[in-house]
Amino acid sequence: MNIGLFISESEKVISKTIDLSAITKNYKDLTSVKIFNNITSSTSIKEIKDEIRAKSLRGIVLAGESPLYFKRIRNADTVVKAITEAGINPNMISFVNLKEQVALPHRSMPREATKKARFMIDVGIERLRFVHDVGIVGVTPKKSIAIIGTTTGGLFAARRLLERGYNIHFIDKSGIRDLRDYKEQAMPTLAYLKNHPDVRFHEKPIKELYGYAGNFRIIFEDYSLRAGGIIVAIDDDLKYTEELYPLLRIDRNEQGFFIPIISDTATVETVNPGIVVIPYKVDRSLSYIIMLSDSASAILDTLLSQKEIKHEVFVSEVDEGVCGGCGTCVKTCIFHAAELDPVKKLSSTNIKRCVGCGNCVSACPTGARDQLSAPTRFLISAIQILSRYQPPDGIKVLYLACEGCGYASLDYAGRMGLEYPAGVLPLGVKCGGRIDTQLILEAFRSGFEGVVICKCQDGRCLNIVGNTDLDRRANLFRSVLKSRGIEPERLRIFGVRECEDGSCVGNTLEFMEYLKTIGGRR
Amino acid sequence: MKEKVKIATGHLQGCFGCHIALLDLHEDIIGLLDMIDIVRSPVNDVKEVVSASLGILDGSVCNTENIKLAKKFRERSDKVLAFGTCACFGGINGLRNLFLLKDVLKRGYIETESTVDGKIPSSEEIPEILPRVHSLDQVIKVDYYLPGCPPTPFMIKKVLGAILAGKEPELPAKNLCHECKRERKEIYIPRREFITDEVRILMELERIDQERCFLEQGVLCMGPATREGCEARCIRGNFPCRGCMGPTPDALEQGAKMINALSNIIPAGALMFTEDVVGAGYRYTLPVSIIPSLKEEAR
Repeated sequence: MNIGLFISESEKVISKTIDLSAITKNYKDLTSVKIFNNITSSTSIKEIKDEIRAKSLRGIVLAGESPLYFKRIRNADTVVKAITEAGINPNMISFVNLKEQVALPHRSMPREATKKARFMIDVGIERLRFVHDVGIVGVTPKKSIAIIGTTTGGLFAARRLLERGYNIHFIDKSGIRDLRDYKEQAMPTLAYLKNHPDVRFHEKPIKELYGYAGNFRIIFEDYSLRAGGIIVAIDDDLKYTEELYPLLRIDRNEQGFFIPIISDTATVETVNPGIVVIPYKVDRSLSYIIMLSDSASAILDTLLSQKEIKHEVFVSEVDEGVCGGCGTCVKTCIFHAAELDPVKKLSSTNIKRCVGCGNCVSACPTGARDQLSAPTRFLISAIQILSRYQPPDGIKVLYLACEGCGYASLDYAGRMGLEYPAGVLPLGVKCGGRIDTQLILEAFRSGFEGVVICKCQDGRCLNIVGNTDLDRRANLFRSVLKSRGIEPERLRIFGVRECEDGSCVGNTLEFMEYLKTIGGRR
Repeated sequence: MKEKVKIATGHLQGCFGCHIALLDLHEDIIGLLDMIDIVRSPVNDVKEVVSASLGILDGSVCNTENIKLAKKFRERSDKVLAFGTCACFGGINGLRNLFLLKDVLKRGYIETESTVDGKIPSSEEIPEILPRVHSLDQVIKVDYYLPGCPPTPFMIKKVLGAILAGKEPELPAKNLCHECKRERKEIYIPRREFITDEVRILMELERIDQERCFLEQGVLCMGPATREGCEARCIRGNFPCRGCMGPTPDALEQGAKMINALSNIIPAGALMFTEDVVGAGYRYTLPVSIIPSLKEEAR
């Protein structure tokens, strides 16, 4: 396979610690190796596109910034877009986090950082050996929007969207809410909406909600509706937030209110594209609410004005030759995405519902299910590669971080300048529910002294039951380790409250101290 | 008449049940004997390992004598078949890997309740016991596998038939649930809760519905993590699967897969696993699991 390794210096932040030219010497057999000082600049993007086409590359390893940077920071996705436009399937891009998880936290030990960076890049290359292209489906966006919460923010957003020609569905099980401090200003809007032929009010609880940007299906007790996008504007109704959380799967802050991805650069966008939130804050001014509701309606309008929205189908796939139809995945999948094919009597994946969390992959007792983004055999191989790094103090810890807050919090710690030993080797997994006993065993077999699982705090798992199922499995992991003479305490699981929570570093350092006190495994 | 295929059989460490299982072929054995010539076998009491087209070995590798015999078979047979669960995965004997050899010997020869003045035998005549039990393919190259404790007549016929016909024998790849005729209902309903809150043991026979899935009744059954091919014989006899056919080809190890699957299905599975994880999940496959033994120094 023609593989290109594109390394970002991130404006010299990475190259200050990691000796990139020394690293590139190891990858002479790759089709293309390039270093960019600023990977998001227009010249870099042009060069990337040209290189992919000129060398007919099939897979890309993007080493530099965290994968979350490209997903969450406004306009950083141009790099990924350019790569896919040049003909690379989104699943054939491996991200290697050299900045937040190597260069920043190990800035006082450049030699070790350089050594570790190599193994991390090796993992990125290895991934391309195990994955294949994902399907891309086009959705014609529905010209209707569901607004959950008849609050001031919701009403103003509706007004804007009506002007742009959308149908509006107000959903609020509590009926029209008290508009509080801004009653006077919002009453005319409410009156206008009530008489508008394109507005409907649904005063009942939502039973089920699934789908993706452009086409969501919202199911009530007796009927259902479709919406292209969803605005969540329920203010400080915590009970309702609790109820909606399993359906919407968007982040909540410490107080329990729904929040956008990043409060400063993405004020209303959530982790779930097509769903935007008008976040609640005490003492919001009316102008602030209007700003947010305008922002929310503008984002949805931009999204839904497209002729077609493309979705990458990152789901779990079933090997029908191995699946026996036992139903374990069907029971496990809280999103109702694992279904039993009534004719074949085998399991299948409903791509409209599947969020790709991988809990069914762990649960599948035959190994028939696998995750498109991170197949089990890749994860096993990645653990073996990472284990080859020899830290100076000898203590190696595999740090499995869930894609919810586990991974993001480690990035955050890096950005905050928290340092930790290079022997902490991170491997991102989709969810705590994806953590398979086989991975833990492989980690200890390959010589890790300890394993950390960093996941979202209980009750905050984006995949709803991922944490529950991880906990159920964890007790058994420990028994299995004990039976092989490995202290069960060598497996440490902790949750982080939110993505901006640096406590993971303190916890890990404390764990490493503990590992020193119990001594080496051999 | 076509020349008969020369077959040698040998026994490593085990209960000899796999050799006996050949007799389970009943009248089919007559047809088989027309096609094969058993040149060496414990059954016809030929001890010398002579050359053969196919070497069939049952049992696991537990001592130096086993290694010697396995290597001779490999040398003198064109193809080698690992016959039965012990040869394929190490089998029940493999559970010894959970303990250090010195503790096993002490327990076996000195500490057993009925032993008086026991001592650990040592003589040059006795083959040396290995610190760890191995599957056959950890010692020699194996061409074909036929799991089962013991293998069922149907599978023996199918696998031997294919080999004698010069074809690659194919083992089924799905799990036992595929063959199991019991009704499953609860497991097809997505939810956070377990599929049942009950925990039952096998003795409660009168309370176990013979038509319904064992797991849905709170009885631990290894079926989901076990390869099919045995025609669910135990289950038809109202006895849950214990996993002797080993893992499906896509699973890296049977015990870990069972833990992943069962822990969120039934409290019983979780409960029993916690009590005896290895006994339940790794009963037949510990030597081929990811971490096969108690301590590294036992290697």
